[in-house]
Amino acid sequence: MGIASILQLDEMMGDFNRMNKRQSLYQVLSFAMIVSSALMIWKGLMVVTGSESPIVVVLSGSMEPAFHRGDLLFLTNYKEEPVRVGEIVVFKVEGRDIPIVHRVIKLHEKEDGTVKFLTKGDNNNVDDRGLYAPGQLWLTKKDIVGRARGFLPYVGIITIFMNEYPKVKWAILSILAIFVLLHRE
Amino acid sequence: MAKKEDKSLPADELVKVNKWDGSAVKHALDDAVKTCLLGDRPQLKEQFGLVNARLALCALAVGVAVMAHAWDFTHPFPQSRPVLLLSVLAYFALMGVLTLHTTFREKGTFAVAVQKETGGKQQSVWEASSDMKKYDDKYLLTLTVKDAKGTREVSSSKSCAAFIDNNGIILDHLVANEVNRLYNSLSAEKKEK
Repeated sequence: MGIASILQLDEMMGDFNRMNKRQSLYQVLSFAMIVSSALMIWKGLMVVTGSESPIVVVLSGSMEPAFHRGDLLFLTNYKEEPVRVGEIVVFKVEGRDIPIVHRVIKLHEKEDGTVKFLTKGDNNNVDDRGLYAPGQLWLTKKDIVGRARGFLPYVGIITIFMNEYPKVKWAILSILAIFVLLHRE
Repeated sequence: MAKKEDKSLPADELVKVNKWDGSAVKHALDDAVKTCLLGDRPQLKEQFGLVNARLALCALAVGVAVMAHAWDFTHPFPQSRPVLLLSVLAYFALMGVLTLHTTFREKGTFAVAVQKETGGKQQSVWEASSDMKKYDDKYLLTLTVKDAKGTREVSSSKSCAAFIDNNGIILDHLVANEVNRLYNSLSAEKKEK
Protein backbone atom coordinates (compact mmCIF):
# COMPACT_ATOMS: atom_id res chain seq x y z
CA MET A 1 0.00 0.00 0.00
CA GLY A 2 2.86 2.35 0.84
CA ILE A 3 4.51 2.27 -2.57
CA ALA A 4 1.19 2.53 -4.41
CA SER A 5 0.22 5.69 -2.55
CA ILE A 6 3.69 7.20 -3.02
CA LEU A 7 3.47 6.68 -6.77
CA GLN A 8 -0.09 8.05 -6.66
CA LEU A 9 -1.31 4.98 -8.48
CA ASP A 10 -4.84 5.25 -7.10
CA GLU A 11 -5.22 8.81 -8.38
CA MET A 12 -3.89 7.73 -11.75
CA MET A 13 -6.36 4.84 -11.85
CA GLY A 14 -9.10 7.29 -10.86
CA ASP A 15 -8.07 9.53 -13.75
CA PHE A 16 -8.18 6.50 -16.05
CA ASN A 17 -11.59 5.28 -14.87
CA ARG A 18 -13.12 8.69 -15.48
CA MET A 19 -12.04 8.79 -19.12
CA ASN A 20 -14.79 8.58 -21.69
CA LYS A 21 -14.55 6.66 -25.00
CA ARG A 22 -12.96 9.51 -26.95
CA GLN A 23 -10.41 10.20 -24.22
CA SER A 24 -9.43 6.51 -24.07
CA LEU A 25 -9.09 6.43 -27.86
CA TYR A 26 -6.86 9.50 -27.67
CA GLN A 27 -4.63 7.81 -25.06
CA VAL A 28 -4.20 4.76 -27.30
CA LEU A 29 -3.51 6.96 -30.34
CA SER A 30 -0.96 9.02 -28.37
CA PHE A 31 0.92 5.86 -27.49
CA ALA A 32 0.69 4.69 -31.13
CA MET A 33 2.03 8.07 -32.28
CA ILE A 34 5.06 7.82 -30.00
CA VAL A 35 5.87 4.41 -31.46
CA SER A 36 5.15 5.63 -34.99
CA SER A 37 7.38 8.68 -34.58
CA ALA A 38 10.31 6.48 -33.51
CA LEU A 39 9.62 4.19 -36.48
CA MET A 40 9.39 7.09 -38.95
CA ILE A 41 12.64 8.63 -37.68
CA TRP A 42 14.36 5.27 -38.24
CA LYS A 43 12.88 4.94 -41.76
CA GLY A 44 13.86 8.54 -42.45
CA LEU A 45 17.47 7.74 -41.49
CA MET A 46 17.33 4.71 -43.78
CA VAL A 47 16.26 6.91 -46.70
CA VAL A 48 18.84 9.64 -45.97
CA THR A 49 21.83 7.32 -45.52
CA GLY A 50 20.81 4.73 -48.13
CA SER A 51 21.58 1.94 -45.68
CA GLU A 52 19.06 -0.60 -44.42
CA SER A 53 20.52 -0.31 -40.92
CA PRO A 54 21.95 3.18 -40.44
CA ILE A 55 22.99 2.66 -36.81
CA VAL A 56 24.62 -0.59 -35.60
CA VAL A 57 26.24 -1.76 -32.38
CA VAL A 58 29.67 -3.42 -32.43
CA LEU A 59 29.11 -6.89 -31.00
CA SER A 60 32.62 -8.33 -30.74
CA GLY A 61 36.17 -7.26 -30.05
CA SER A 62 37.45 -8.20 -33.51
CA MET A 63 38.16 -4.57 -34.45
CA GLU A 64 40.09 -3.51 -31.37
CA PRO A 65 41.72 -1.10 -30.73
CA ALA A 66 39.64 0.93 -33.21
CA PHE A 67 36.19 -0.21 -32.03
CA HIS A 68 35.21 -2.00 -28.85
CA ARG A 69 32.19 -4.12 -27.97
CA GLY A 70 29.30 -1.76 -27.25
CA ASP A 71 30.32 1.10 -29.55
CA LEU A 72 27.62 2.66 -31.72
CA LEU A 73 28.44 3.07 -35.44
CA PHE A 74 26.82 5.43 -37.96
CA LEU A 75 26.74 4.09 -41.51
CA THR A 76 26.09 5.37 -45.00
CA ASN A 77 25.67 3.40 -48.19
CA TYR A 78 25.84 5.83 -51.10
CA LYS A 79 26.16 4.39 -54.59
CA GLU A 80 28.32 7.34 -55.69
CA GLU A 81 30.99 6.58 -53.07
CA PRO A 82 32.45 3.17 -53.87
CA VAL A 83 34.04 1.10 -51.13
CA ARG A 84 37.86 1.13 -51.19
CA VAL A 85 40.51 -1.01 -49.53
CA GLY A 86 41.26 0.06 -45.97
CA GLU A 87 37.72 1.22 -45.24
CA ILE A 88 35.65 -0.24 -42.45
CA VAL A 89 32.41 -1.80 -43.64
CA VAL A 90 29.46 -3.52 -42.00
CA PHE A 91 28.18 -6.57 -43.85
CA LYS A 92 25.71 -9.39 -43.34
CA VAL A 93 26.46 -12.91 -44.47
CA GLU A 94 23.65 -14.43 -46.51
CA GLY A 95 21.35 -16.45 -44.28
CA ARG A 96 22.54 -14.83 -41.04
CA ASP A 97 21.12 -11.72 -39.43
CA ILE A 98 24.11 -10.55 -37.43
CA PRO A 99 25.96 -7.51 -38.82
CA ILE A 100 29.76 -7.86 -38.83
CA VAL A 101 32.07 -4.83 -38.66
CA HIS A 102 35.45 -5.47 -40.37
CA ARG A 103 37.97 -3.80 -42.68
CA VAL A 104 38.27 -4.36 -46.45
CA ILE A 105 41.72 -5.80 -47.28
CA LYS A 106 41.36 -6.88 -50.92
CA LEU A 107 39.16 -5.72 -53.75
CA HIS A 108 38.62 -6.80 -57.37
CA GLU A 109 36.75 -4.52 -59.75
CA LYS A 110 35.51 -5.32 -63.27
CA GLU A 111 34.99 -2.81 -66.04
CA ASP A 112 31.20 -3.04 -65.74
CA GLY A 113 31.45 -1.87 -62.12
CA THR A 114 30.87 -5.15 -60.26
CA VAL A 115 33.17 -5.52 -57.27
CA LYS A 116 34.14 -8.27 -54.89
CA PHE A 117 35.76 -7.71 -51.48
CA LEU A 118 37.66 -9.67 -48.90
CA THR A 119 37.44 -8.49 -45.29
CA LYS A 120 39.31 -9.13 -42.06
CA GLY A 121 38.93 -7.93 -38.49
CA ASP A 122 41.91 -5.87 -37.26
CA ASN A 123 42.14 -7.99 -34.12
CA ASN A 124 41.77 -11.35 -35.92
CA ASN A 125 44.63 -13.49 -37.23
CA VAL A 126 42.83 -14.77 -40.33
CA ASP A 127 40.62 -13.22 -42.96
CA ASP A 128 36.85 -13.61 -42.96
CA ARG A 129 36.54 -16.49 -45.45
CA GLY A 130 35.69 -18.72 -42.47
CA LEU A 131 32.70 -16.47 -41.71
CA TYR A 132 31.26 -16.32 -45.22
CA ALA A 133 28.61 -18.77 -46.45
CA PRO A 134 29.90 -22.23 -47.44
CA GLY A 135 31.52 -21.97 -50.87
CA GLN A 136 31.59 -18.14 -50.78
CA LEU A 137 35.07 -16.63 -51.14
CA TRP A 138 34.23 -12.98 -51.72
CA LEU A 139 31.64 -10.44 -50.62
CA THR A 140 29.63 -8.46 -53.15
CA LYS A 141 27.97 -5.04 -53.03
CA LYS A 142 24.62 -6.45 -51.93
CA ASP A 143 26.13 -8.00 -48.78
CA ILE A 144 27.34 -4.60 -47.60
CA VAL A 145 25.05 -2.75 -45.18
CA GLY A 146 27.20 0.38 -45.20
CA ARG A 147 30.51 2.07 -44.51
CA ALA A 148 31.33 3.34 -41.05
CA ARG A 149 31.31 7.15 -40.95
CA GLY A 150 31.24 8.00 -37.25
CA PHE A 151 30.92 6.38 -33.87
CA LEU A 152 29.86 6.89 -30.25
CA PRO A 153 31.72 4.85 -27.64
CA TYR A 154 29.95 2.68 -25.02
CA VAL A 155 26.39 3.82 -25.85
CA GLY A 156 25.47 0.49 -27.44
CA ILE A 157 26.10 -1.50 -24.24
CA ILE A 158 22.41 -0.98 -23.36
CA THR A 159 21.34 -2.71 -26.58
CA ILE A 160 23.67 -5.64 -25.93
CA PHE A 161 22.32 -5.90 -22.36
CA MET A 162 18.69 -5.80 -23.52
CA ASN A 163 19.34 -8.51 -26.09
CA GLU A 164 21.02 -10.78 -23.57
CA TYR A 165 18.22 -10.33 -21.02
CA PRO A 166 15.06 -9.96 -23.12
CA LYS A 167 12.80 -10.18 -20.05
CA VAL A 168 14.30 -6.94 -18.71
CA LYS A 169 13.64 -5.28 -22.06
CA TRP A 170 9.98 -6.36 -22.11
CA ALA A 171 9.49 -5.39 -18.46
CA ILE A 172 10.83 -1.85 -19.00
CA LEU A 173 8.86 -1.38 -22.24
CA SER A 174 5.64 -2.62 -20.61
CA ILE A 175 5.98 -0.27 -17.65
CA LEU A 176 6.62 2.69 -19.97
CA ALA A 177 3.64 1.69 -22.14
CA ILE A 178 1.32 1.48 -19.13
CA PHE A 179 2.40 4.90 -17.87
CA VAL A 180 1.85 6.52 -21.28
CA LEU A 181 -1.56 4.87 -21.70
CA LEU A 182 -2.85 5.83 -18.27
CA HIS A 183 -1.47 9.35 -17.81
CA ARG A 184 -3.62 12.08 -19.30
CA GLU A 185 -1.47 14.39 -21.43
CA MET B 1 -21.50 8.96 -20.90
CA ALA B 2 -22.84 12.18 -19.29
CA LYS B 3 -24.68 11.31 -16.13
CA LYS B 4 -27.21 13.51 -14.35
CA GLU B 5 -25.51 14.22 -11.05
CA ASP B 6 -27.12 15.73 -7.96
CA LYS B 7 -25.60 18.62 -6.11
CA SER B 8 -24.47 16.21 -3.40
CA LEU B 9 -22.82 13.12 -4.82
CA PRO B 10 -22.67 9.82 -2.96
CA ALA B 11 -19.22 9.32 -1.44
CA ASP B 12 -17.94 6.82 -4.01
CA GLU B 13 -18.54 9.20 -6.93
CA LEU B 14 -16.42 12.03 -5.51
CA VAL B 15 -13.47 12.91 -7.69
CA LYS B 16 -10.12 12.89 -5.95
CA VAL B 17 -6.93 14.20 -7.52
CA ASN B 18 -3.34 14.63 -6.51
CA LYS B 19 -3.51 18.30 -5.58
CA TRP B 20 0.17 18.84 -6.36
CA ASP B 21 -0.09 17.54 -9.94
CA GLY B 22 -1.01 20.63 -12.00
CA SER B 23 -2.10 18.79 -15.11
CA ALA B 24 -4.32 16.32 -13.20
CA VAL B 25 -5.94 19.24 -11.36
CA LYS B 26 -6.66 21.07 -14.62
CA HIS B 27 -8.18 17.97 -16.23
CA ALA B 28 -10.32 17.25 -13.18
CA LEU B 29 -11.56 20.85 -13.07
CA ASP B 30 -12.31 20.76 -16.82
CA ASP B 31 -14.36 17.60 -16.32
CA ALA B 32 -16.24 19.17 -13.39
CA VAL B 33 -16.99 22.33 -15.38
CA LYS B 34 -18.25 20.28 -18.32
CA THR B 35 -20.51 18.19 -16.08
CA CYS B 36 -21.91 21.31 -14.38
CA LEU B 37 -22.44 23.13 -17.68
CA LEU B 38 -24.21 20.30 -19.47
CA GLY B 39 -25.75 18.43 -16.55
CA ASP B 40 -28.74 20.59 -15.67
CA ARG B 41 -29.21 22.19 -19.09
CA PRO B 42 -30.88 19.73 -21.48
CA GLN B 43 -31.09 22.42 -24.12
CA LEU B 44 -27.30 22.22 -24.62
CA LYS B 45 -26.24 19.33 -26.86
CA GLU B 46 -22.54 18.45 -26.79
CA GLN B 47 -20.67 18.60 -30.11
CA PHE B 48 -17.58 16.55 -30.82
CA GLY B 49 -16.34 18.09 -34.06
CA LEU B 50 -13.03 19.44 -32.71
CA VAL B 51 -12.13 16.30 -30.82
CA ASN B 52 -13.09 14.10 -33.77
CA ALA B 53 -10.85 16.14 -36.06
CA ARG B 54 -7.91 15.67 -33.71
CA LEU B 55 -8.56 11.92 -33.40
CA ALA B 56 -8.87 11.57 -37.18
CA LEU B 57 -5.53 13.34 -37.74
CA CYS B 58 -3.80 11.08 -35.19
CA ALA B 59 -5.35 7.96 -36.71
CA LEU B 60 -4.29 9.04 -40.20
CA ALA B 61 -0.69 9.63 -39.08
CA VAL B 62 -0.54 6.23 -37.38
CA GLY B 63 -2.07 4.66 -40.50
CA VAL B 64 0.66 6.16 -42.69
CA ALA B 65 3.35 4.81 -40.35
CA VAL B 66 1.84 1.31 -40.28
CA MET B 67 1.50 1.25 -44.06
CA ALA B 68 5.11 2.39 -44.52
CA HIS B 69 6.33 -0.31 -42.16
CA ALA B 70 4.26 -3.01 -43.90
CA TRP B 71 5.48 -1.89 -47.35
CA ASP B 72 9.10 -1.92 -46.22
CA PHE B 73 8.60 -5.37 -44.70
CA THR B 74 7.22 -6.84 -47.93
CA HIS B 75 9.59 -4.99 -50.30
CA PRO B 76 13.11 -5.05 -48.76
CA PHE B 77 14.88 -1.77 -48.45
CA PRO B 78 16.37 -0.48 -51.64
CA GLN B 79 13.13 -1.07 -53.59
CA SER B 80 10.97 0.58 -50.94
CA ARG B 81 12.98 3.82 -50.87
CA PRO B 82 10.51 6.06 -52.77
CA VAL B 83 7.52 4.83 -50.76
CA LEU B 84 9.44 5.31 -47.51
CA LEU B 85 10.49 8.83 -48.47
CA LEU B 86 6.90 9.76 -49.27
CA SER B 87 5.59 8.21 -46.04
CA VAL B 88 8.14 9.96 -43.83
CA LEU B 89 7.35 13.33 -45.40
CA ALA B 90 3.59 12.67 -45.15
CA TYR B 91 3.90 11.60 -41.52
CA PHE B 92 5.77 14.68 -40.39
CA ALA B 93 3.46 16.92 -42.44
CA LEU B 94 0.47 15.37 -40.65
CA MET B 95 2.17 15.91 -37.29
CA GLY B 96 2.61 19.55 -38.26
CA VAL B 97 -1.07 19.88 -39.16
CA LEU B 98 -2.02 18.20 -35.87
CA THR B 99 0.12 20.65 -33.91
CA LEU B 100 -1.45 23.59 -35.76
CA HIS B 101 -4.91 22.19 -35.01
CA THR B 102 -4.30 21.80 -31.28
CA THR B 103 -2.48 25.12 -30.94
CA PHE B 104 -4.67 27.40 -33.00
CA ARG B 105 -8.04 25.76 -33.52
CA GLU B 106 -8.58 23.87 -30.25
CA LYS B 107 -6.69 26.23 -27.90
CA GLY B 108 -7.65 24.70 -24.56
CA THR B 109 -11.31 24.13 -25.50
CA PHE B 110 -12.72 21.12 -23.71
CA ALA B 111 -16.45 21.47 -24.29
CA VAL B 112 -18.52 22.61 -27.24
CA ALA B 113 -22.32 22.60 -27.09
CA VAL B 114 -25.12 23.80 -29.33
CA GLN B 115 -28.30 25.41 -28.03
CA LYS B 116 -31.29 25.53 -30.34
CA GLU B 117 -33.50 28.59 -29.94
CA THR B 118 -37.07 27.56 -29.12
CA GLY B 119 -39.26 27.57 -32.21
CA GLY B 120 -36.61 29.18 -34.42
CA LYS B 121 -33.93 28.03 -36.80
CA GLN B 122 -31.22 29.98 -34.97
CA GLN B 123 -28.78 28.26 -32.75
CA SER B 124 -26.02 29.45 -30.50
CA VAL B 125 -22.72 27.68 -29.99
CA TRP B 126 -21.28 27.59 -26.49
CA GLU B 127 -17.56 26.86 -25.95
CA ALA B 128 -15.76 26.33 -22.69
CA SER B 129 -11.98 26.56 -22.57
CA SER B 130 -9.47 26.73 -19.80
CA ASP B 131 -5.84 27.55 -19.22
CA MET B 132 -3.60 26.85 -16.29
CA LYS B 133 0.12 27.60 -16.55
CA LYS B 134 2.59 24.97 -15.53
CA TYR B 135 3.50 25.85 -11.93
CA ASP B 136 0.76 28.43 -11.44
CA ASP B 137 -2.38 27.91 -9.36
CA LYS B 138 -4.60 30.28 -11.34
CA TYR B 139 -7.29 28.45 -13.31
CA LEU B 140 -8.54 30.68 -16.12
CA LEU B 141 -12.00 29.54 -17.26
CA THR B 142 -13.48 31.15 -20.37
CA LEU B 143 -17.03 30.71 -21.63
CA THR B 144 -17.86 31.94 -25.16
CA VAL B 145 -21.19 32.07 -26.94
CA LYS B 146 -21.54 32.58 -30.69
CA ASP B 147 -24.98 33.35 -32.01
CA ALA B 148 -26.75 35.41 -34.67
CA LYS B 149 -25.82 38.61 -32.82
CA GLY B 150 -22.08 37.89 -32.68
CA THR B 151 -19.56 36.41 -30.30
CA ARG B 152 -19.35 37.21 -26.59
CA GLU B 153 -17.07 35.80 -23.97
CA VAL B 154 -16.64 36.00 -20.24
CA SER B 155 -13.85 34.56 -18.14
CA SER B 156 -12.88 34.12 -14.56
CA SER B 157 -9.44 33.56 -13.15
CA LYS B 158 -9.42 31.96 -9.75
CA SER B 159 -6.94 29.91 -7.83
CA CYS B 160 -7.69 26.23 -8.30
CA ALA B 161 -7.68 26.04 -4.50
CA ALA B 162 -11.09 27.73 -4.62
CA PHE B 163 -12.61 24.50 -5.95
CA ILE B 164 -10.59 21.75 -4.25
CA ASP B 165 -10.48 20.87 -0.60
CA ASN B 166 -7.45 19.92 1.46
CA ASN B 167 -7.64 16.24 0.53
CA GLY B 168 -7.77 16.87 -3.21
CA ILE B 169 -11.50 16.30 -3.60
CA ILE B 170 -13.19 18.49 -6.19
CA LEU B 171 -16.11 20.40 -4.67
CA ASP B 172 -18.74 20.30 -7.39
CA HIS B 173 -21.12 22.80 -5.81
CA LEU B 174 -18.40 25.47 -5.84
CA VAL B 175 -17.60 24.69 -9.48
CA ALA B 176 -21.32 24.78 -10.31
CA ASN B 177 -21.67 28.21 -8.67
CA GLU B 178 -18.91 29.61 -10.87
CA VAL B 179 -20.21 27.97 -14.05
CA ASN B 180 -23.78 29.13 -13.41
CA ARG B 181 -22.56 32.66 -12.73
CA LEU B 182 -20.69 32.81 -16.05
CA TYR B 183 -23.50 31.13 -18.01
CA ASN B 184 -26.19 33.39 -16.59
CA SER B 185 -24.16 36.53 -17.28
CA LEU B 186 -23.83 35.53 -20.95
CA SER B 187 -27.49 34.44 -21.22
CA ALA B 188 -28.65 37.70 -19.66
CA GLU B 189 -26.62 39.66 -22.20
CA LYS B 190 -28.26 37.64 -24.96
CA LYS B 191 -31.75 38.52 -23.77
CA GLU B 192 -30.89 42.22 -23.44
CA LYS B 193 -29.70 42.51 -27.05
